[in-house]
Amino acid sequence: MGAWLDETLTWGHALLFFLWGVILLLVVLGFVTYAIFFERKVIGWMQYRIGPNRVGPWGLLQSVADITKLLIKEDTIPRKADRALFILAPALAYVPAFAVLAVIPYTQKLYFADINVGLLYYVALSGISTIAIILGGWSSNNKYALLGGMRSAAQMISYEVPLVISVVGVVMLSGSLNLRSIADQQGDWFWQWNFLPQIIGFVVFIIAAVSELNRTPFDLPEAESELVAGYHVEYSGFRFAFFMLTEYVYVYAIAALTTVLFLGGWHAPFPFLDWVPGIIWFLLKFTSIVFFLFWIRATLPRIRIDQLMGLGWKVLLPVAILNVFLTAVYMELFVK
Amino acid sequence: MKGLLKGLGVTLQSMTKKKVTTSYPDVPIVMPDRFRGIQHFEPDKCIVCNQCVRICPTECITLTGKANPDPEKKGKVIDTYDINFEICILCDLCTEVCPTEAIVMTGNFELASYSRDDLFKDMQWLDDNNRNVRQDNNNIGAPAAAKGGAK
Amino acid sequence: MIRTEELLLNVGPQHPSTHGVFRIIVKLDGEVITEATPVMGYLHRGTEKLAEDLNYTQIIPYTDRMDYVSAMTTNYVLCHAVEKMMGLEVPERAEFMRLIVMELQRVASHLVWWGTYLLDIGAMSPFLFAFRDREIIINLFNELCGARLTYNYMRVGGVKWDAPPGWIEQVRDFIPYMEGKLDEYHNLVSGNEIFLARIRGVGRYDAETAINFGLSGANLRSTGVDWDLRKSKPYSLYDRFEFDVPLGRNGDCYDRYNIRLEEVRQSLRILKQAVEQFPGPGDVMGKVPRVIRPPAGELYVGIESPRGEIGCHIVSKGKAEPYRLKFRRPSFVNLQILPKLLVGETMTNLITILGGIDIVVGEVDC
Repeated sequence: MGAWLDETLTWGHALLFFLWGVILLLVVLGFVTYAIFFERKVIGWMQYRIGPNRVGPWGLLQSVADITKLLIKEDTIPRKADRALFILAPALAYVPAFAVLAVIPYTQKLYFADINVGLLYYVALSGISTIAIILGGWSSNNKYALLGGMRSAAQMISYEVPLVISVVGVVMLSGSLNLRSIADQQGDWFWQWNFLPQIIGFVVFIIAAVSELNRTPFDLPEAESELVAGYHVEYSGFRFAFFMLTEYVYVYAIAALTTVLFLGGWHAPFPFLDWVPGIIWFLLKFTSIVFFLFWIRATLPRIRIDQLMGLGWKVLLPVAILNVFLTAVYMELFVK
Repeated sequence: MKGLLKGLGVTLQSMTKKKVTTSYPDVPIVMPDRFRGIQHFEPDKCIVCNQCVRICPTECITLTGKANPDPEKKGKVIDTYDINFEICILCDLCTEVCPTEAIVMTGNFELASYSRDDLFKDMQWLDDNNRNVRQDNNNIGAPAAAKGGAK
Repeated sequence: MIRTEELLLNVGPQHPSTHGVFRIIVKLDGEVITEATPVMGYLHRGTEKLAEDLNYTQIIPYTDRMDYVSAMTTNYVLCHAVEKMMGLEVPERAEFMRLIVMELQRVASHLVWWGTYLLDIGAMSPFLFAFRDREIIINLFNELCGARLTYNYMRVGGVKWDAPPGWIEQVRDFIPYMEGKLDEYHNLVSGNEIFLARIRGVGRYDAETAINFGLSGANLRSTGVDWDLRKSKPYSLYDRFEFDVPLGRNGDCYDRYNIRLEEVRQSLRILKQAVEQFPGPGDVMGKVPRVIRPPAGELYVGIESPRGEIGCHIVSKGKAEPYRLKFRRPSFVNLQILPKLLVGETMTNLITILGGIDIVVGEVDC
């Protein structure tokens, strides 16, 4: 992959890139299908239920059935909605979610794009989804959707800042914004991975990431007990499916990003376990982060909007900046 | 932070605990004997005393009697007996007052249907509804003589 | 200069957190409420008017449907009022049965409240935890009287059914189980920092306001007023048992939350004593005339339901039907403070405060 990227672009290469893109899309769709299934199972188990088990063996086809149902559902657009924006919003939400996946490296060899500003690219693109959510909330011409959209705007802007600053420490340690080299530079032993030396950054990153994902306890834009369904209250069928898809693709992206930035990517926790392929380690770490997200969703209540803002600006941001400062001091004293 | 972690611990532990889900439509739920389900009506026992109609708080029971076809016997026999399950609240009062236990509760509770008309049950249907019939009826409202051994 | 305008938001009657068909019209400035107007009556069935055409036994099933989360206490208040009017004696065993089911009902009702309140606040597991345990109580009731929600269990002068064999033992086994589960609830939620931040200091009022609004139950006791009808004006057999009335100090949602969970523990304490002292075999139905005709006159009886003081005011003209029947429904009375509490709060706190009051719409609209 890397070799082709450096060569001049020909039709053959373009077709090849396109095929790779399609393969990634299929992988992501498969992930979303089974992430939803896994989420419902895990939350079910935590609530003394057994979760979906009726469609297919062990309920494995439940999400497929759900998606099929959404696809064949009537597509409704409210009469007073802003039609063009209403149609645009779900697509606009999904495109950046898929585009950020390009920079995620899975192993030393398996990656899609090797951009030197990979991390920056990720953060910049994922910001666009916020606009889509505001658009969706505004164009629906529904008061609940509008409140949800506004909350989402406030929340995403506030949490993008600590999210980016929390990874600055990692960038300083590895001296690169390229995700592949960040993952590569983390050591062979698990305590050499970034999550221990950068523990403050790691915690801030996780909190900000959950908030970016709009998941419990930060699911205020949706907040079904207050805003009914928040920004997508007027969406149904296929367009609603796109918003859900976006949400789960971001789960994929954030879990992969956390693995790469803080959990050593494809490295084995001990050097003597190196014989296990790197992709297995990647998937293991990736899955445990996804599980963690589901786990807190099953446990925690929702935070209030003013507390959310307070947490973002008054706690996470100063802590993230402190982390940058401490990292700088450490590097000045010990690394130089 | 401590309370948060405690909560996470509780949910994690419950993952492996025994589940409480029942497989209801596959395995029917057996209700206890006293359950107040759809009534079973035995026309032969009915003496057309009209008590169930009078006690019914929602007036969902309608009945008509006719003269006994056997000329040697006195009294009436039941002709039609309908319960409208759109408004029946299964309060148990009709079975409580019935002196002959002609109308009794059963353990059946599945009434869902596609049409409201299906909820209007006639005598034949109520007679055929004879599974899981309640054994102990405890009609405290019935006259002492008719109480029988059921207590 | 940016022109701003108020947003008129219609919360309900179809809204996930209004606990049924309750509606609030709120004026929002951003997310801050400037005015709130509750609209009720979507579940009005005219129970009180209907009762004027029914005899007293027939009214009992209607009381089930008033406070459907706690039907046993509504059953009791009507029967108790009629018995008091007619001066009927209730056999001890029947009174014990009534007390046991009422306390079980209080536990069940508070469990529903706890689960749905946490659901309002955004945690979904507690709801299923609570319903898992409530299911045990519901099954006990089902065995006892054949219904899971609308029990129609009590009669004027006694109860309809005696306890089936082994039922009291099941209640006895349930008590330690529930005590264990209560600790689990506290572990799951009560210490959670997010949850505490959501409910501490929210929906505050002082004792004077509470009394002026006629609040009762946990809503009143959260301000520190020691008023529990089971202790203040003992009815049934409550004067025979030892229990505490949990009190709050600040009158906020946090105090109400703690009081309700503590009441569950106190109910279990009462149940434990009641099961121990449960009398031997005997009648569960007193000597009641064939047709119940209370003497002409008026009578008001109030008892402590899980939501507060539920009262029954009967005006009788000596007929088999009441001339006028009035229920003092605690949900309805407690709800009156809502518009006052909501002004200046955010949309999120609306849900927290409404949930904290603990209404059952069937009872509000009656």
